[in-house]
Amino acid sequence: MAKTGLLEVHDLSVGYGGEPVCAPVTVAVAAGTALGVIGPNGAGKSTVLQTLVGLLPPIGGTVEFDGRPVDEREAAFRRDVVTVLDDDAFFPSLTGAEHLLLTARGHGVADADEVVAEEVEEFGLTERAHALPSALSSGQRRRLALAAAFVRPARLMVLDEPERRLDAQMRRQLAARIAADVADGLTVVFASHDAEFLSTVARRVLVVDDDACTVVSPKAAVAMLHE
Amino acid sequence: MHADPTRELTGAGVRRATRQATAARADTSWLTLGGDVLSALTVAGVVVAVFGGAFSALRERIAARPEAAATHLPGELTALVAALLVAAGVVALLSRLGPVSATPATAAWWLPLPADRRGLLRGELVRTCWVAVVAAVVVALPVVLAAPTAPTVPEVAVGVLAAVLLALAAVGVLVVLQARELTGWVAPAAGAVATVAVVVPAVVGTIGTWGWVPSGPGVPLPVLAGVLVALAAAALLAADRVTGRLRAGALRDRGAAVFVASASALSLDTRELGRAMGTPVHPPRRTRTWAWVRQPWQAVVAGDLAVLARSPWRWGQLAIGTALPVLAARTDGLGGVPALVAVAVVVGWSIAAVALGEPSRSAHAAPAADRALPLGAKDVVRARAIVPTAALVLVCAVSAGVAGLGWQWAALGAATAPAWAGAVVRGGYRPELDWSGPVLSSPMGAVPTSVTVTLVRGLDLGILGTVPLIIGLLLGDVPDLLLAVALGWSLLLALISVETAQKKA
Repeated sequence: MAKTGLLEVHDLSVGYGGEPVCAPVTVAVAAGTALGVIGPNGAGKSTVLQTLVGLLPPIGGTVEFDGRPVDEREAAFRRDVVTVLDDDAFFPSLTGAEHLLLTARGHGVADADEVVAEEVEEFGLTERAHALPSALSSGQRRRLALAAAFVRPARLMVLDEPERRLDAQMRRQLAARIAADVADGLTVVFASHDAEFLSTVARRVLVVDDDACTVVSPKAAVAMLHE
Repeated sequence: MHADPTRELTGAGVRRATRQATAARADTSWLTLGGDVLSALTVAGVVVAVFGGAFSALRERIAARPEAAATHLPGELTALVAALLVAAGVVALLSRLGPVSATPATAAWWLPLPADRRGLLRGELVRTCWVAVVAAVVVALPVVLAAPTAPTVPEVAVGVLAAVLLALAAVGVLVVLQARELTGWVAPAAGAVATVAVVVPAVVGTIGTWGWVPSGPGVPLPVLAGVLVALAAAALLAADRVTGRLRAGALRDRGAAVFVASASALSLDTRELGRAMGTPVHPPRRTRTWAWVRQPWQAVVAGDLAVLARSPWRWGQLAIGTALPVLAARTDGLGGVPALVAVAVVVGWSIAAVALGEPSRSAHAAPAADRALPLGAKDVVRARAIVPTAALVLVCAVSAGVAGLGWQWAALGAATAPAWAGAVVRGGYRPELDWSGPVLSSPMGAVPTSVTVTLVRGLDLGILGTVPLIIGLLLGDVPDLLLAVALGWSLLLALISVETAQKKA
């Protein structure tokens, strides 16, 4: 079978201690597209995302990124894949701006100062950029974690409920930004409970469920969210 | 709904009601409690006897040896330094944990009540006093027993009693400061005192002779006891008067730290304990731009340097770690016993290694930070060993060179540094404690082997790397072959440490 996606997932079974948390997943995500992931609380969305990026070992099946099995310990994978999951942890002694600068410089970004300044403004962190993470609110820390995903180059972006802890304006802004980046060639996989976010960003949506994991259109997915 | 304010419970009444409800459900009888107290006292007695015997044997060993030519510090001074070190540690600990705090349950259920806060918190104050008393006894006993001249039983009792009274006075003063929200400077000041207390005698003892020999206070014992009792009583009374002014938010925050610290201590998770007890980080005056960073590994180094540069507390630890072996080598009696100098070397360099391990520990707690850079998992760990290696080459070379008074010793110290640098990342990235492993029977009960192995992970290879230096101490010389073996051995251990450091997914 010809490989069509940047991310190829075949018969992937995810869970803990050998116990699957949902039905097996088979999906291909082509470069420059966005795949949304929906499902009720506890359905296994986060587990699927963590397995896709190699943080959890699959119970069965395969995940390939760019034709190679996923191994998050490899430098090449870390160069190409950026994740914002539920672990937005920071070094307590470094300010928000310093986290972003080190990330950008570590990825060899030219004009790192300007790139960081732009993202700091974009994510509404200008006044708090020089504060330590411990002095930021929960929402500001979320913004900082998201900003860190945009100050560096990446081919695949994996986000777990990116809209969480963000105000309505920031949600809309983030959705528009991700949609624009997808149009520019970025590949995105994200879990969400937000219908507006989903319909703005996703081209297809994976519905995670106990019985079967299926891929549907954003319109159908939004309807399912409203059920 | 109507309520009658005259029927509200007082703070003491709330405590009493809670205590009675708890006691009604507890299955601990006075008999069990008495048995536990008796067991604790018996164990304490055995520990005192064992320590007393060990120190007595050591004194005889030291007396039988010829005086080392390079020692210039009186043993009394080093004993005083040890006392100051532990006292500073206890004061810093008390200030970090409150000293008065509210448990999560107290914060949730008691503090919102209309009862007087002073009455509500009196139990917490009493509990803190007990903790201080136990801490004073635990830290004062070895210091008193290790005095250069063998202490008599009354002298031991007086020393421990004085420590207890001073600890109670310290609790009282700290609570008063806490009520005025002025405890922020206490831990840094205690750290500064400890650093000066170790470094100054080490330096003076190396470049000259220390003239002053500490002696007991020149006042009659009853007067001294009276002053200490009055001091402790006055401080505690003042503390009791101000507990009503303590803010709920601060009590809750300190209580959360106590909760995490207690849980970590009980589960033997020293890394989590260190996180719970960590000093607050102050925002830097200026944000760094790191224009020199061009490669991912440089980003790791830059971050690690910033973490260390922003913690004066860790600079103090490095200074103490460097000076401790020198202090031991310069002290009359201690300096002539290679085993004791070796112990000081291991303790001192362990302190330095712990100070330098903060970036690795932070990275272990925040694995997403490591994944953010285009660097393989093993390369991140290797990069994280760069700053500790550079710092420890300096610490170990200066420490060993000054203690041994010769460049060969400095070279031997520098050769040992890679093993300790490896120990830093090995310890920082060590896996979580595993209580499910096999247990080993011991006279003290079952010992979970996997927990023990994990706890010493890091320190183990540091100590192994110090073996050539210990051989040098026993030989009293540093042959070239030993230097070469030390370097090769240390590099091998560093390689093992870095390559086996486990990262958290």
